[in-house]
Amino acid sequence: MPVAASAIYFLNLRGDVLINRLYRDDVGGNMVDAFRMHIMQTKELGTCPVRQIGGCSFLYMRISNVYIVIVVSGNANVACAFKFVVEAVALFKSYFGGAFDEDAIRNNFVLIYELLDEIMDFGYPQNLSPEILKLYITQEGVRSPFSSKPSERAVPNATLQVTGAVGWRREGLVYKKNEVFLDIVESVNLLMSSKGTVLRCDVTGKILMKCFLSGMPDLKLGLNDKIGLEKEAQLKSRPTKSGKTIELDDVTFHQCVNLTRFNSEKTVSFVPPDGEFELMKYRITEGVNFPFRVFPTIKELGRTRMEVNVKVKSAFGAKMFALGVVIKVPVPKQTAKANFQVTSGRAKYNASVDCLVWKIRKFPGQTEATMSAEVELISTMTEKMTSTKPPIQMEFQVPMFTASGLRVRFLKVWEKSGYNTVEWVRYITKAGSYEIRC
Amino acid sequence: MAPPARSSQSSSPSQPSGKGEVSDLKSQLRQLAGSRAPGVDDSKRDLFKKVISYMTIGIDVSSLFGEMVMCSATSDVVLKKMCYLYVGNYAKVNPDLALLTINFLQRDCKDEDPMIRGLALRSLSSLRVPNLVEYLVGPLGSGLKDSNSYVRMVAVIGVLKLYHISSATCMDADFPSILKNLMINDCDTQVVANCLSTLQEIWTAEGSNSEEASRERDALLCKPLIYYLLNRIKEFSEWAQCLILELVAKYVPSGNNEIFDIMNLLEDRLQHANGALVLATIKVFLQLTLLMTDVHQQVYERIKAPLLTLVSSGSPEQSYAVLGHLHLLVMRAPMLFSSDYKHFYCQYNEPFYVKKLKLEMLTAIANESNTYEIVTELCEYAANVDVPIARESIRAVGKIALQQYDVNAIVDRLLQFLEMEKDYVTAETLVLVKDLLRKYPQWSHDCIAVVGNISSKNIQEPKAKAALIWMLGEYSQDMQDAPYILESLAENWDDEHSPEVRLHLLTALMKCFFKRPPESQKALGIALAAGVADFHQDVHDRALFYYRLLRYNISIAERVVNPPKQAVSVFADPQSSEIKDRIFDEFNSLSVLYQKPSYMFTDKEHRGPFEFSDELGNLSIEPDVSAQHVEADDEDLLLSTSEKGDVGFPLNGSSYSAPSYDSSKPLSASNTSSDLAILETSVHHQASASLAIDDLLGLGLSTTPAPAPPTLSLNPKAILDPGTFQQKWRQLPVSLSLELNVSPRGVAALTTPQALIMHMQGNSIHCIATGGQSPNFKFFFFAQKSEELSNFLVECIISTSSSKAQMKIKADDQNSSQAFSALFVTALSKFGML
Repeated sequence: MPVAASAIYFLNLRGDVLINRLYRDDVGGNMVDAFRMHIMQTKELGTCPVRQIGGCSFLYMRISNVYIVIVVSGNANVACAFKFVVEAVALFKSYFGGAFDEDAIRNNFVLIYELLDEIMDFGYPQNLSPEILKLYITQEGVRSPFSSKPSERAVPNATLQVTGAVGWRREGLVYKKNEVFLDIVESVNLLMSSKGTVLRCDVTGKILMKCFLSGMPDLKLGLNDKIGLEKEAQLKSRPTKSGKTIELDDVTFHQCVNLTRFNSEKTVSFVPPDGEFELMKYRITEGVNFPFRVFPTIKELGRTRMEVNVKVKSAFGAKMFALGVVIKVPVPKQTAKANFQVTSGRAKYNASVDCLVWKIRKFPGQTEATMSAEVELISTMTEKMTSTKPPIQMEFQVPMFTASGLRVRFLKVWEKSGYNTVEWVRYITKAGSYEIRC
Repeated sequence: MAPPARSSQSSSPSQPSGKGEVSDLKSQLRQLAGSRAPGVDDSKRDLFKKVISYMTIGIDVSSLFGEMVMCSATSDVVLKKMCYLYVGNYAKVNPDLALLTINFLQRDCKDEDPMIRGLALRSLSSLRVPNLVEYLVGPLGSGLKDSNSYVRMVAVIGVLKLYHISSATCMDADFPSILKNLMINDCDTQVVANCLSTLQEIWTAEGSNSEEASRERDALLCKPLIYYLLNRIKEFSEWAQCLILELVAKYVPSGNNEIFDIMNLLEDRLQHANGALVLATIKVFLQLTLLMTDVHQQVYERIKAPLLTLVSSGSPEQSYAVLGHLHLLVMRAPMLFSSDYKHFYCQYNEPFYVKKLKLEMLTAIANESNTYEIVTELCEYAANVDVPIARESIRAVGKIALQQYDVNAIVDRLLQFLEMEKDYVTAETLVLVKDLLRKYPQWSHDCIAVVGNISSKNIQEPKAKAALIWMLGEYSQDMQDAPYILESLAENWDDEHSPEVRLHLLTALMKCFFKRPPESQKALGIALAAGVADFHQDVHDRALFYYRLLRYNISIAERVVNPPKQAVSVFADPQSSEIKDRIFDEFNSLSVLYQKPSYMFTDKEHRGPFEFSDELGNLSIEPDVSAQHVEADDEDLLLSTSEKGDVGFPLNGSSYSAPSYDSSKPLSASNTSSDLAILETSVHHQASASLAIDDLLGLGLSTTPAPAPPTLSLNPKAILDPGTFQQKWRQLPVSLSLELNVSPRGVAALTTPQALIMHMQGNSIHCIATGGQSPNFKFFFFAQKSEELSNFLVECIISTSSSKAQMKIKADDQNSSQAFSALFVTALSKFGML
């Protein structure tokens, strides 16, 4: 049985309580002290997000400058607890409009208490959907005395029954201009050995959607994924079109997507929530196009000098370009200074992270750039230079490019009033953990 | 508008303020209580906000209870909510005042607005005051019948709250059967879900004392209910779905067709964005197919992709929660994951707890096809800046070596680690090389060559040092310098803090002695002498045992110490398969992450009132030397010593078979005394044979070091466990207390309190605990009369700044305490204290 949460705490980095909500009596009131003493004030803090102190377990996560701690007394469902925290924070954000941090909590603590009462009762998660909560938890909250139509208010669950369980969307939305924004955001993870072989590589992508649509629209999304295309070809009994198809390792969908239909017809169809949401997530390991290749050569010239050469080649289309490219080449702690020569961008030595940091604001496709640096070291007797070498790390964003090759083929919108919609699609590939060993 | 609005916005709840502010609030609230002026609600709001923010940071605002209740007569929902929150927080400590609130809460329970009805009912059931439950039953009953689902939803959980305050009232009102009805008939899914959680909790709690309740609990798993819930599952919120799936996982289907039906129905849940729901679904799949081996395997294949996705998405905490489960599955069926090894490669920036689990999984799935890649990857981590990860990686390489048949390449890599010349790398590697040699003695030649080059001075960690010493002893015939290295270690006996190392040193020197007697005779003599005088019980016992063994018969001693050994085939798994199965049954819960079944961390019998988890325990209870630096009260001191005995005998353990002579038995600490007694009696018969050894070793030590006056002789091997000491210390009266001046020489000697302890032990007065820091030291000693079981307990506080020593002596036998104190003082003065 998923044991209920006994208490939830919001602490700042110093350990001050910002919010505390005790749901059950089975844990003592000094739980924050226990947490502070045995977790925050020790080096245990970063070691594990699940800890047992006394008879209680502490499940905690840090979000910006706040620790959120759930205390349970029994054998709780951890995944559920963490997911609850994440969802709760998303809910708070949708109320505050933006950041979730210490200040936001301090400025809205009454609201948070109100929400905490609604989203969890006696430790069991209740309704966390912002759409529904916003119907009856408003920041104004004032009820006109003797409201003339009490039946109109606060009956969200009853309305749900009538509208057929679309818990994530209100009825009666009206927009002058009906628009849908799709963002395909991919992050590439790469681990390359010093010899240039790919040790590990995958893409985790998500499709973010922003909907400004009237009424109760039905949407259908078509991608160039292999299974979907094959199924479609089979249904329409025509040969699969040639061209690149993508094999998705795994997909997960927002709760609005009709999973039964996805499993039978392989189409993504859904009634979207209003506003912004994450429609789907996917993971791909086969056939990934790396946007960049990195060729480092590092030579040690005696005890006090090093020569670092890094060549970076962009592998995406010539018409595209990458933004915010940063290449961090680790150097020994005893580095004194470095002289650089770069073909583009700027490079400098950053002592606080022990790295040569090379930044290129705009990197066109199908080109290459090089950096060569002479690094001078302070000679020390104690440590050997070759002892540890963190990998070269890289950051970048490539708009209009997907490392997986995923493309949106169509997005269809049906609504009974038959309005026209404008669809916008954007692609972007970012560096996840892009590491090259040297 | 009003100034209080500003101040409440900016007054950060972290600045505690005094009583003045509270009484200030009190008077302001009073003013507002009766007022009906326009805008009064806004001012109230600001005041309430202040009260709540004080409450949050822990300032006691319970004195405002009356005023808060008076102000609660309002139609502002937000105000009401704040008031409810306040009341819920303080009602328990102010049961009398809580009565005041009943009235308005009951009235609100009948409000025309369902929102208010729900809120009031929730607050009413959250008061948690046993005397007030009678007022709760009525509103709950009507709440369960309310036309609005919000109110019903709140009422259902209210029943559970009532049950926790007064189970009898709840059962008498027959609420559970109403809920049962509601669960099947209510159209609102959240009401149904709340009924389910409430009933589960109530029946589980009742189940232990009533048969009917346990029948009811089992009835929750009946086919109609399960089918009813499963068929509607998509209408439930994701959290309620988790709850239902948890229930379904316990359901026992009647046949395979049913199992497949359920799995088909739930398969699309694996695609849900909520990771908790995916895990819950996986649990159902795993549990349902437990008895269908091949389907169970297919389930593993099916769930792999969703699990890997969950691991790679979300926050590190979330991915840790999933990774823990993946870890469990990998450990159960490593071969199913052997081709996915690349997913378990660590990223540079991942937190330690994620990396550690990944390393363990990499270790488990290594087989013939992927070992090369995995070991290569692990070697990368060994050079990592992050020391704990480097250590874990080396251990992982070692474990792979121990589970593989073809270890050729791995041994080479391990030996390369030794050449990295980093202390921690060397230390970890030495421990591994030792284990490796125990399993594959054929590698000794290669290993010894490299190990021989390591200087023992560079190794500080006890485990590594012990491993090196073991190798020096075991392979002393092949290592040129072995006797000399061991000798230098024996000469610095007092600098060696770890008893484990000292134990190994004794054994290694014994082994060495039989292989190269002329070179190691002197060192053995030094070690035995130091060992017999050692204050650590096990070291003392082992030294004495070796000494007597040598005197008794050298050839038998050799058979004990150097028996022909069999290679270890399999190292024992620390966790039994039964425990592993229990953890698997509790899939999707904390037990998977803790890697122990729930009874181990939830049952009271398995943990003390405030016992810490293993890792955490080190924080407050540090067994070894550091105990002396801990500023702690007497109880802690005693606690710390009780952990000291935990020193294993890993080397001569049961994994070695000694053909005719059972070597493990006399060596195990608990049996030594009886065996020694047998040896002692036979010593006289063999005296002539063993005298030679005595001289040979040049020990010149007598086995009964008791320079005691005839009036009182103490037992040199007195044993008293800390618990008994503590108990006696509490029970016995102080029979003598004295204060003495300490000489400057004594003050100087106390820079190493160990020396005093060793000295007193030589006088048969044993130290059980020490503490304090310079200039104030505290010692607890005990002694036993040699002929009867009568104890003396001493608390000795020595202040080096004032050069004073205070002693309190307690004794079982009051009459002899004078004689004992004389003995004690003599012993102290011999040390140069007085």
